[in-house]
Amino acid sequence: MTGIVLEARGLELSFGPTPALRGADLAVEAGEILAIMGPSGSGKSTLLHCLAGILTPDAGEIEFAGRRLDTMKEAQRSELRRDRFGFVFQFGQLVPELTAEENVALPLLLGGRKRAAALAEARSWFGRLGLDGLEARRSGELSGGQAQRVALARAMVTRPDVIFADEPTGALDSLTGEQVMDLLVSTAREHGTTVVVVTHEPRVAACADREVTVRDGRVTTAFMERMAS
Amino acid sequence: MISLGIRLALAGGREALARLVVIACAVAAGVGLLLGMLAAINGVHSQDNRYSWLNSAHSTDTPRSGVDPLWWRLSGDAYQGERIGRVDVAATGTNSPVPPGIPRLPAPGEYYASPALARLLADLPADQLADRYPGHLVGTIGSTALPGPDSLVIVVGRTPAEVKAADGSHEITSITTTPSTDCDDCPVGPKGSSVILILSVTAGALVFPVLILVGMATRLSAARREYRFAAMRLVGATPRQVSVIATAEAALAAAAGVAIGFAVFPPIRLALVRMDFTGTPFFLSDLSLNLWDVLLVVLGVPVAAAVAAGIALARVRVSPLGVARRVTPPPPRAWRLLPMLLGVAELAFFIGRRPNTSAGQSMAFTPGMVLILGGLVYAGPWLTMVGARLMVGRSNDPAVLIAGRRLADDPKAGFRSVGGLVLALCVTTGSVAIITAITAERGLPEIYTAGAGAAVDHTVLGSYLTGWGDDGRPTGAEKPLPASVTTQLRAIPGVAGVTVIHADPLGTPDPTEHQGPVGAARQGGLASCEQLAGTPLFHTCAAGAQTATTAADFDGFGVDIGSNWPRQWPTSSVPAAQLDGLPVLDVVVGTTGSAATVERVRTLLEGTYPDRAMAPWTLSEYRTQAQGQLSSFQRLANTVTLASLVVAGCSLAVGVAGGLSERRRPFSLLRLTGVQLGVLRRTVLLESAMPLLVVSGVAIGMGFLAAELFLKAQLGYSVRSPGAMYCVMVVGGLAASLGVITSTLPLLRRITGPEAARND
Repeated sequence: MTGIVLEARGLELSFGPTPALRGADLAVEAGEILAIMGPSGSGKSTLLHCLAGILTPDAGEIEFAGRRLDTMKEAQRSELRRDRFGFVFQFGQLVPELTAEENVALPLLLGGRKRAAALAEARSWFGRLGLDGLEARRSGELSGGQAQRVALARAMVTRPDVIFADEPTGALDSLTGEQVMDLLVSTAREHGTTVVVVTHEPRVAACADREVTVRDGRVTTAFMERMAS
Repeated sequence: MISLGIRLALAGGREALARLVVIACAVAAGVGLLLGMLAAINGVHSQDNRYSWLNSAHSTDTPRSGVDPLWWRLSGDAYQGERIGRVDVAATGTNSPVPPGIPRLPAPGEYYASPALARLLADLPADQLADRYPGHLVGTIGSTALPGPDSLVIVVGRTPAEVKAADGSHEITSITTTPSTDCDDCPVGPKGSSVILILSVTAGALVFPVLILVGMATRLSAARREYRFAAMRLVGATPRQVSVIATAEAALAAAAGVAIGFAVFPPIRLALVRMDFTGTPFFLSDLSLNLWDVLLVVLGVPVAAAVAAGIALARVRVSPLGVARRVTPPPPRAWRLLPMLLGVAELAFFIGRRPNTSAGQSMAFTPGMVLILGGLVYAGPWLTMVGARLMVGRSNDPAVLIAGRRLADDPKAGFRSVGGLVLALCVTTGSVAIITAITAERGLPEIYTAGAGAAVDHTVLGSYLTGWGDDGRPTGAEKPLPASVTTQLRAIPGVAGVTVIHADPLGTPDPTEHQGPVGAARQGGLASCEQLAGTPLFHTCAAGAQTATTAADFDGFGVDIGSNWPRQWPTSSVPAAQLDGLPVLDVVVGTTGSAATVERVRTLLEGTYPDRAMAPWTLSEYRTQAQGQLSSFQRLANTVTLASLVVAGCSLAVGVAGGLSERRRPFSLLRLTGVQLGVLRRTVLLESAMPLLVVSGVAIGMGFLAAELFLKAQLGYSVRSPGAMYCVMVVGGLAASLGVITSTLPLLRRITGPEAARND
């Protein structure tokens, strides 16, 4: 896939009386690693959730691979999240009742893959991400870094077009965070996967090809930021 | 998805396992009780069929040709309050129909008896029972012809002339198989439809609290499940897939519960055998289940549990980011009281407008009751909110403030855990109030209590009066009582006195009938003052009088029917010497109440005046029979109440424990900030106790009000004080509930330790 894979135009979204997005525009190139930065409450996570089809904007359009995401039904968006997108969040994305390998296999199982085949595919990611021997552990038995790598494996197992990462290193110490980020970037580059990462850490943003900032619900580029200041 | 749901249910750790066990146990309890009720309904049907042959003379079956008619006479006898069904038969040829359970018709001088009666005949001296039946035992009646294993039934062989001459004899050409439920004129049988209606309502009343418990258990560790479902939604699970997983979990637990329920059914069945709510215990084999019952339970209960689980989770919309942002739900409005008030108005409407048929009465009162019960549950959150606001008031206690604000913000959640208990209290109060009032209205007046009541109860009455003619003369009078019989009666140990009530040749009006019907005055009876002095309970004569005009009908002894007897009977001018030659209306025999005395008196009177439709009886036997079904329903009501309270108590425990577990973090943080454990304990206690006590008060009031309206409309009675037992039940129930809440408090210390406050 080349060219623009994901594009948002004039997104607006409010939570009750509080506006979170006020006409946000963004275009993401295929294979690009894009960092979205911004202060707390600026709307960066809300923008990511809209781009991923988790939230539906009040106004504006989102297009993914030529299809309107904002007008899709919930079931279609679920399907898209399962087959074309992957997610790595700060915490809370692993199902505690399942083992690590079952967590990785979950998107495949939800897609109707047979259990044995799904688990085999899941296990193939453990070695690549340095998780050997942790297949049978539950999320409570994993360290923060290990849990994030399992989440990364789960995000990659369907070979998605886009990975959405929301503060993926936010709950980790700097060394572990760096390791996770390196893995995310290298794996994405290896497979040509687009990555949209929300972060407030410049260290994480430095791994990206491009960086945008969200301020008061609108997207600005680093160049515009510098001009403004 | 289903297999994933099952996998998650089984591998979800201790909380998921606890949820699974609680749901399974709740469903097992519900299934066991439901199976019991279905078996009881089948038992009533089977028993009704077993009774049918006794109604052969009253069936509407088409007469069969080519059959030798059978002379048939059905009458009632008694032994120690137990009814004995007696059928006198006389064949008119070799082709006469034969009742079920016996190989052939008994010849004159022979009889077949049920096993229970055969044992009594063998064990008792002949003058207490066997002398009532002419001839000898030739065999026992098989179980196919017996309503229950302990039934006392006898088929006596007579000559056609003997049966034909007896009161109430018929010629029949076939033995009917039509159950009494489908035969309006049939005198014998439980008339199963009303019993089945009550059993059906009971089954419903039992299932309701069980479904509440299933709903409560489904919400156990809801936060953890919502977290898990959100994670699944994030990686692409559709809402439908999440719903399938949740339903599979509930259905798995319900399926386990169904299996356990079937396992506990045999002991429940054994208990039901003795619960004779038709007046006759069941055969164990009659309490069986058919294929449809099994299918209904096996398929219906897991579906119902899954629906209950679905309803419990319906309020939660799981998005990929977690449970949809929670907002404070709008407060409940006062119009939530409307259904309850409509129920009250509906019941009140039928005061003075009671429908004539039992079906009409059922249609009239059931909607009102349902509206009140459903309305109570619907109004519960509003009552909780009002109570919470009043509680907060100007209180300075932080526990009151936290508990009050939480209840006022989400009163539905506060009421949910106590809803089952409140409902159980309302049902208990209503049923106890109704049964207490009926029992009180039909009980002995105060004048007969304190010793005298027992003497009245044990007086044997041979009543031969069948009514009054248009001219006011008593009908049915028997021939004069031979002096030898009077002597024999007096000679029986335990007989206190014998009073014979004769037909009055002067036709003096009955002194107890001054409030009687319009028309020719009913004539009274005539008794010797000497005999009346021997049975002083039934009042005396004026000083110096030899004979007196008495009630013609001693039925009820002036206690149950027409309690307006004069304290002194008016003097009659008929000389005492003339009495022995006069026809007899009643023979009143005072006894000490010993079984042998009563049965000897009964046997002697039956021998003297055979072939009467009704055997001599005592007031206590009458009461036992009249109140037998009432007592059975009281037992059934007690069982339902107890089961409902237990299930509701479980709901409360699950609700409180689940609520504590859900709020582990905020409570831990409060403790970290220095809030004492005692404050948290009081908060938890208040959150459950306040709605429980406030809504219970309303539930008890509504129970009494509904009972009062029903009693007024249906029977013209009023609610009486329900007695100490009820108070003990209510106070005990509420105390036990508070105990259940208190028992969860130690959990608070364990789950709110500093480690619980950490971020996940």
